Amino acid sequence: MENNLALIIEDDVDLSNIFAEALRAAGFETEIIRDGAVAQQRLKEVAPYIVILDMHLPHVDGSVLLSQIRTDPPLQKVKVVIVTADAIMGDMYREQAELTFVKPVTFTQLRDFTERMRLQK
Amino acid sequence: MKSIREILDRILATRATDPDDARRRRLLNILMLGMFTSGFVGALVIIVDAVTLKGLGGAGSQLLLPTAVIIMIGTAVLYYINRYSGRWAAFLFLLLLTVAFSFSDTPDQLANGRSLFVYTFPIAISSLILFPIASFIFAAISSAIIAGLATSVQVVPNLPAIIGFFMLALVSWLSARGLEQALKDLRVINTNLDQLVSERTKALSESLTREMIEAGRSEAILNSIADGVIVFDTNWKSTLANPAIVNLLEIPFSGIVERGIDDLLKPERISAKDRGMLLAMLERPGQIGESFKMEWGKKTLSVNAAQVYDSAGAQIGTVAVFRDFTREAEVERMKSTFVAVVSHELRTPLNAIMGYAEMLKESVYGPINEKQSGATDRVMANTQHLLDLVSELLDQAQIEAGKLKIRVAPFAPAELIDAVHGVMDKIAADKNLAFTSEIDPDLPEQMNGDSYRLRQILINLVNNAVKFTGKGGIHIRFFRRDAAHWGISVRDTGDGIPKDEIPHIFETFRQVDGTTTRQYGGIGLGLSIVKQLVGLMQGEIAVESELGSGSTFTILFPLNNANK
Repeated sequence: MENNLALIIEDDVDLSNIFAEALRAAGFETEIIRDGAVAQQRLKEVAPYIVILDMHLPHVDGSVLLSQIRTDPPLQKVKVVIVTADAIMGDMYREQAELTFVKPVTFTQLRDFTERMRLQK
Repeated sequence: MKSIREILDRILATRATDPDDARRRRLLNILMLGMFTSGFVGALVIIVDAVTLKGLGGAGSQLLLPTAVIIMIGTAVLYYINRYSGRWAAFLFLLLLTVAFSFSDTPDQLANGRSLFVYTFPIAISSLILFPIASFIFAAISSAIIAGLATSVQVVPNLPAIIGFFMLALVSWLSARGLEQALKDLRVINTNLDQLVSERTKALSESLTREMIEAGRSEAILNSIADGVIVFDTNWKSTLANPAIVNLLEIPFSGIVERGIDDLLKPERISAKDRGMLLAMLERPGQIGESFKMEWGKKTLSVNAAQVYDSAGAQIGTVAVFRDFTREAEVERMKSTFVAVVSHELRTPLNAIMGYAEMLKESVYGPINEKQSGATDRVMANTQHLLDLVSELLDQAQIEAGKLKIRVAPFAPAELIDAVHGVMDKIAADKNLAFTSEIDPDLPEQMNGDSYRLRQILINLVNNAVKFTGKGGIHIRFFRRDAAHWGISVRDTGDGIPKDEIPHIFETFRQVDGTTTRQYGGIGLGLSIVKQLVGLMQGEIAVESELGSGSTFTILFPLNNANK
């Protein structure tokens, strides 16, 4: 079965909804997680095709989740799109992600980019 | 010997202030001393003679002792008078001498014989101890005396002797006058010389005083300024410092002056990075910038440096001026933090507004009619405007705080251009503008640089070009300038920039004129940020523009930009 899951890890209700809509429009199944600790647990259970990752999260920081994705063998193929309001943070982790968006991230940007990724696989 | 001379000098000394008067009185004193001494010796001889040889006998010898005593008393009295009036003493002396001579021999011998010559003495001396012309007075007195004596012994007065007296008076007068004139001239010369010497001395002391005042003033200025000043010589030894530096560096004065720079910049006082920067700044003032800020203990100090040259143009040292920047640095940090937090907090809700508007526009929630679509366009445009402002502020705050880092990594120019097209194509197309690009073939496919910041720069420049271009288009070109440089140019066919505005367009918060802000959006930070980013990447940006036919922004980077 084709992996079509997109995990949207973002604590802001509105933004997480918008990101989810964008990824749905790009053809993904989406799941929203608004808490770092919950995301940490969820990543032990599933290996999504793509993760939209905010760096500022409650309980467990985005950087911890990023290193979990990059070191956990089952998650090796996961594509990460970092979405952060902090350009410095974005700079720091730019190399570990497929793409880093510094907020504002527009609906169409995210939709078009992730759609291209989905079609490339 | 010396004491006898001193005693003599004291006896002969006079109180006269006029040099001529003093000389005459002294001469009179010498004569009287001689007279007194001869009187004394004479009296002594007479007494000894009378006691041992029972006397020579005769009336003459009986008169000798009183004469000697009278001479001694007379000279003593005259000496006393001479202390008050040289004129009177000299006149009385000469008069008494003449009179005394007149009783020293028989009248005929005095008038016409062997003792005639004694009168020459007062005549000659008078011009010296009285005044030059006085010799004639005594010539006349002497002539009268010998004439009187001759008459009393009934002989003819000796006319040749009288003529001789006057001849002698003439010679005395002339020679005394010549002597006095010579002495006067000498005195004038001396006085002139003295005056010259005293003038020179005065001038010298005045110039010395002036110099001291001048030096004192400079020192007072140096000591009173609030900035700390250290002057280093060419061997980097501190030669001069002011009191303010003691408080600023919190090192006692003795620890600052006459110390090598390494001694001053001990590792516990300053970080290795700041130390390196400071040394670089001191060695080449002006290269790092006008001033440089460093951490010194709990303080932030701003440092300025300048090289010191002597009048011949040779470098004799470097002066470093330190200023307490702690408060300003704190305010700057607070400002940056405030701007960063506010911008950050503004972005998230703005992003949400943008997102929902886009979704409406993209019919995610179902089809919308034309008016609704137009309204969402307005919502999106205004939100975008607000987001741009916030982004500019945030970037500026980060650059000012020095937090923005350049990350150099390999990148492909083609991919960079694609990314810019991805963002800008639609924006350009919305204004019916052509947006084209080219990469010169001699540029490597892979280059080193910060592609993220390059993209930011290009989007900024292209976005700017779109804003100010009504028709025509925007063209990006990647090119190779020479062996060591590559560049990017962004050309538009827009309004152009007035010549006098070109030097200012990269300044913070600046647009060509105030009205354009409302017309085109942004708060004038875009180009300033671009320039600062280019600077952080060791590049340079320049602009050429002609009103009405467009502008070209050209950025040049060193080709071997692998330095991190």
